[in-house]
Amino acid sequence: MSNLEKYQHIFKESFQYDGDLEQLEYQGIAVWDSVGHMQLMAALEDTFGIELDVDDIIDFSSFKKGKTILAKYNVVI
Amino acid sequence: MRMPALPDHPQLQYLLRPHDGRISVQPLQPYDERACELLQQLSRLLLADAEARPHTDVMAFAFWCRRANIARLQRDHAEARARLGRGLAFHIAPANVPANFAYSYAFALLAGNASVVRVPSQDYPQVAIIARALRQLLQAPEFAVLAAMTALVRYPHDDGLTAQFSAMCQARIIWGGDQAIAAIRRQPIPSRGVEIAFADRYSFCAIDAASLLREDASGLARLAEGFYNDVFQMDQNACSSPHLLVWLGESQQIAAAQQAFWPAVHAVAAARMTLQAVQAVDKYTLLCRSAVEHANVAGAVRHDNHVYRIALDSVAADVDSLRGRHGLVYEYRARRLDEVAHIVNSKYQTLTYFGLSREQGLDFVLGNRLAGIDRIVPIGSALDMGVIWDGYDIIRTLSRIVDFR
Repeated sequence: MSNLEKYQHIFKESFQYDGDLEQLEYQGIAVWDSVGHMQLMAALEDTFGIELDVDDIIDFSSFKKGKTILAKYNVVI
Repeated sequence: MRMPALPDHPQLQYLLRPHDGRISVQPLQPYDERACELLQQLSRLLLADAEARPHTDVMAFAFWCRRANIARLQRDHAEARARLGRGLAFHIAPANVPANFAYSYAFALLAGNASVVRVPSQDYPQVAIIARALRQLLQAPEFAVLAAMTALVRYPHDDGLTAQFSAMCQARIIWGGDQAIAAIRRQPIPSRGVEIAFADRYSFCAIDAASLLREDASGLARLAEGFYNDVFQMDQNACSSPHLLVWLGESQQIAAAQQAFWPAVHAVAAARMTLQAVQAVDKYTLLCRSAVEHANVAGAVRHDNHVYRIALDSVAADVDSLRGRHGLVYEYRARRLDEVAHIVNSKYQTLTYFGLSREQGLDFVLGNRLAGIDRIVPIGSALDMGVIWDGYDIIRTLSRIVDFR
């Protein structure tokens, strides 16, 4: 799987979501609430073998924004 | 191998017990690989548990013990000396914070100790969910060593049982009010034993008005969300949840900052808070009582039923007796933080802040030689449990140094 596929897969799995990922934002769907956010962050850390900083966890506000955050950890989506 | 037998008693229920009824009290080194592995598997299991999901406290614990965070804690620990756990830790978890026992267990485990954890007597679903996950993981052969070191017990108040477990342990960890701690302390621990008592504490918050006014809308929204989490998530029952908000700056700046801040907090509360009728009444009663009973109450503002604010025009040494509930916050204006140094006593635990530098925060406590405040953290982090808590380095307190020269 490419990084993009892994990245998409994490969102789909975490949120059981089949809609348009590019437009997906924090609190845009019911399951991406503060608990869903924790599930998502832990899954990203596990999959890509990274440790996200607290500031980045807070800034991770959308599917799109997440790509630029992961780039900081040398994960190119 | 030292493996004392665990007691049996009609009132004593084991949620988790080593299979032969004996507990292995041979210590591990801090951050033993198996201990870290168990916690990260526990994290994964709970984060994926549909039954756990509605319980934000369980999910927060699961997020806390995820691989990346444990790795971070281990790095921060940075111990040069050889260490071993002390042996058996006996924990008395707080009766009113369901998921707390899990942190207490994790701390002792990371320090290298076996544990007997007394969970709350009340049958919380959170306790059952975490215990079930632990039980499942500890069945794996890779965790046999840890399974032999772990017992979760539940019993109603019983001095005899508390005395037995206390006599067995090398470390006792008590979470509770002053009375509960005093009652447990009547039961001795061995002379070499150590004790950590996490007593009832008080916490407050400070915001620099000028710094807040420099925030844009998204910064303000994030700050409001953080403040909401600190105050409302545990309904102001957590020791680290603030009751008093001290505004710092000139009065015009403070007024402007308040006008920006509170509507933002209200917006978060209105979206996320489920206020039961009884709580709303409770809060309103508290508001009225405060106004009548305290001469320093200068006014009150209500943002419908969600957020109540009570302005104080002076703060005395007993201001920590004013406790908010269900989203009621006391406010005070000061030019500098030093103006409230006189209120800080040993009950003070956490200062949450916005717009303070490390130097300002530490100077306030160290420069004024304060008896309290063990923790100064940004707004939004009040409830983040750490291995440094209540002024203790828990890992070091629960382990011993093996000195070689």
